[in-house]
Amino acid sequence: MNAMPREELAHWLDRLAGGKTLIAPRDVDGVLLYRPVTSSAEVVWDFTRPVMSIKDAFIPATERLLMIEKTGQQIRLIETLAEGEQVIFGVRPCDARGMKVLDALFLDTEPVDPYYARRRENTTLIGLACRELGPTCFCTTLGIALDDPRDVDVMLTEVEGGYAVQIVTAKGDALLKEARGWGLDVEPQIPDRSDLSTQQPVISDLRSLDWPPYFNDEYWDRLAERCLSCRICAYVCPACRCFDVRDEAMPSNNGHNQYERIRCWDSCAGVNYRRIAGGHNPRPTKGQRLRNRFFCKFYYYPQQYGPVACTGCGRCIDACPENIDITEVLAHVGQAGGSSHNR
Amino acid sequence: MYEPKIIGYLCTWCSYTGADTAGTARLKYPSNLRVVRVPCSGRVSPELIMRTFDQGAEGVLVLGCHIGECHYDTGNHRAAKRLPILQKLMEFAGLEPERLRLDWVSASEGDRFARIVNEFTEAVRAQGPCQWTMISRRLPVIRHPLSAISELDSALGGQPARITDHGSLFTDSIRAKARELLSTGQVECVIGYEVGPRGRTRPAFVYQPDDVERLVWNRACTHNLTAYLREKLYATKPGTPRKRVAVVVKPCDSRAINVLLAEQQFLREQVHVIGLACEGIVEGAGFEPVSEGQLQARCARCIDRMPVVYDTLIGEPPEVGQVSNLSHDLAQLEAMTPAERAGFWLSQFDRCIRCNACRQVCPMCNCPTCLYERDDSLWAGMGIEPSEKRTFHLGRAYHLAGRCVGCNECERVCPMKIPISLLNRKLAKEVEAAFGHRAGGAPMPSPFVTILSGEEVRP
Repeated sequence: MNAMPREELAHWLDRLAGGKTLIAPRDVDGVLLYRPVTSSAEVVWDFTRPVMSIKDAFIPATERLLMIEKTGQQIRLIETLAEGEQVIFGVRPCDARGMKVLDALFLDTEPVDPYYARRRENTTLIGLACRELGPTCFCTTLGIALDDPRDVDVMLTEVEGGYAVQIVTAKGDALLKEARGWGLDVEPQIPDRSDLSTQQPVISDLRSLDWPPYFNDEYWDRLAERCLSCRICAYVCPACRCFDVRDEAMPSNNGHNQYERIRCWDSCAGVNYRRIAGGHNPRPTKGQRLRNRFFCKFYYYPQQYGPVACTGCGRCIDACPENIDITEVLAHVGQAGGSSHNR
Repeated sequence: MYEPKIIGYLCTWCSYTGADTAGTARLKYPSNLRVVRVPCSGRVSPELIMRTFDQGAEGVLVLGCHIGECHYDTGNHRAAKRLPILQKLMEFAGLEPERLRLDWVSASEGDRFARIVNEFTEAVRAQGPCQWTMISRRLPVIRHPLSAISELDSALGGQPARITDHGSLFTDSIRAKARELLSTGQVECVIGYEVGPRGRTRPAFVYQPDDVERLVWNRACTHNLTAYLREKLYATKPGTPRKRVAVVVKPCDSRAINVLLAEQQFLREQVHVIGLACEGIVEGAGFEPVSEGQLQARCARCIDRMPVVYDTLIGEPPEVGQVSNLSHDLAQLEAMTPAERAGFWLSQFDRCIRCNACRQVCPMCNCPTCLYERDDSLWAGMGIEPSEKRTFHLGRAYHLAGRCVGCNECERVCPMKIPISLLNRKLAKEVEAAFGHRAGGAPMPSPFVTILSGEEVRP
């Protein structure tokens, strides 16, 4: 393991920003977001976690899948795959795990999503270890350590005078070739965060939770009473990935009509999410929709794709205006004799 | 030379015929105008005008019959009410007001028609290319950050919340009343506040008298609980008795009840209103475990300290420090040039993720399906282009004109900290100036849904 002084890290980021799209935590009018930056001067270094996760670098909130051009009787389809390499700096272990969760669906399960695959292939993740758990963080419950290097390409940990550098993948190694003359002479003293990483989890064994008996629990209706059916929780979540696809007309000149097929984020909390042709909505109540959110994360998704679709980042807890708290839900489902709530 | 694209919406009965008259008389007027014939100027909705600009128009001219001559009696009165306010809103969002004009042309006034089109074309041409459509066309526009308007907190001098803690007293009163209402069966549910395990204050729904101990009152009770009334009261099957609930309201929230009553969302006797005297709510309420601290800016501005509608009143009119009726931010935004304002709102709406929380939390946003969430993308697409988000936010603000009570829930819940309430405050100001109407002071509908009272006889 080696270390990099902070100034050298800044130089490295500047060089990366020159040739690739560098995405880093940036203050956007008082809101901390992962956004493209042109130099390391725009990067915010001290933060717990940005309001939104890194997922929109891979599945943008709105993405054009293809363009349709109609001239006279001729129809042309133009495929639009993302070009260009991107580097994301300052990725927290929870967000990095979020990408692994999305990989299980978009890459590891047929059919592979070409848009996601292209972006994933063209993107390198530079992780930044957390100093401490934020007030709403519960990543340790999900088995993620504060300096967990498993899901990033390069992991940086703050040490005296700079950052300890841990090369995780070949992609990360290639990226570091662009950093010149870095390296501290001293062996970095990496702070031990194991005590934090084993901090009292919300629930001791997440995988052992027995969800099906809770399906008809009246708890969901009670919990959902204050739910607004907005989409904040899904949009800030690093592991939520539902989308809707629609064809929309683009501004175009006479006789030369253009349309685009776009896919946009969607959320199971929304009223129309589950509506089907003919107008029937099999999930009409807020309780059913909220139940789906948690069943999806901890039961459906692990069954179908493997990973638990939650990374313990706590964003939904921070952002929910009505204080619907995923850790309260886990505690409820984890309590002994919960099935007595069955109707 | 710059030739603006101008769309004219002409009432078929008067103005369209007036245009024909101009043609028959061989009067000259510029060819920039593209005419759309509509049945009545009252049919030209604000959404239609915004959509026209979004799709590339650089000027919109709406012509109808003279007041008193409408084929449908009142259509042009509606246009006369709506369009000036829309013009104020779009001007506030960065459109030069010269680009939108409403006027009257009768069937015989061919010369008047030609003169108006000439004047309007000249006025629009003088404005040059339109920032508004540049945003729609994804062309570069200079952005202006939030810091371009003064921080409200500093303008208010960081006024701390006065801590005369009625909390426990009010809490006891609310619990006692809730127990009484529930045990006597007067209501089936009491909507109030509770404190969650993280110390965050949040809405609570209490059904059993034994459960009332959950209810609290503190300085973080920021939520406008009237937003929950609709679903609680609508869920009545035909033939069953109407539901009754009790709701805890602050003075600002109580005004929302008046608006909802005026719009016949429920009957007065369905709601038992537990109104509280209010000294203001603190910053961070709802998101952090706070009990004291700085007053929210909206509370520092607030002039309503007692509920305007209630069945049970808790508390005395509080002694309140100086009301800071400051609107520095509003004034500074108004003082900018339209192009600067367009850049300001562009950089704000840019952050929007369309989570719809602002709409969902609003007691007044009670359409079963939002106009901007239709499957056909008729008024706004599904994507997150800044122009689509602008359409949504301006459209929503317009629909709240004369209805918004300023509870600021939309701004509180926004995860992207978009200063949405600036739009609502601007419109509240304009509606008050034009119609003398302040939302929720009494159970009076918004002036936009009433017909003919004389105040709309303009321009």
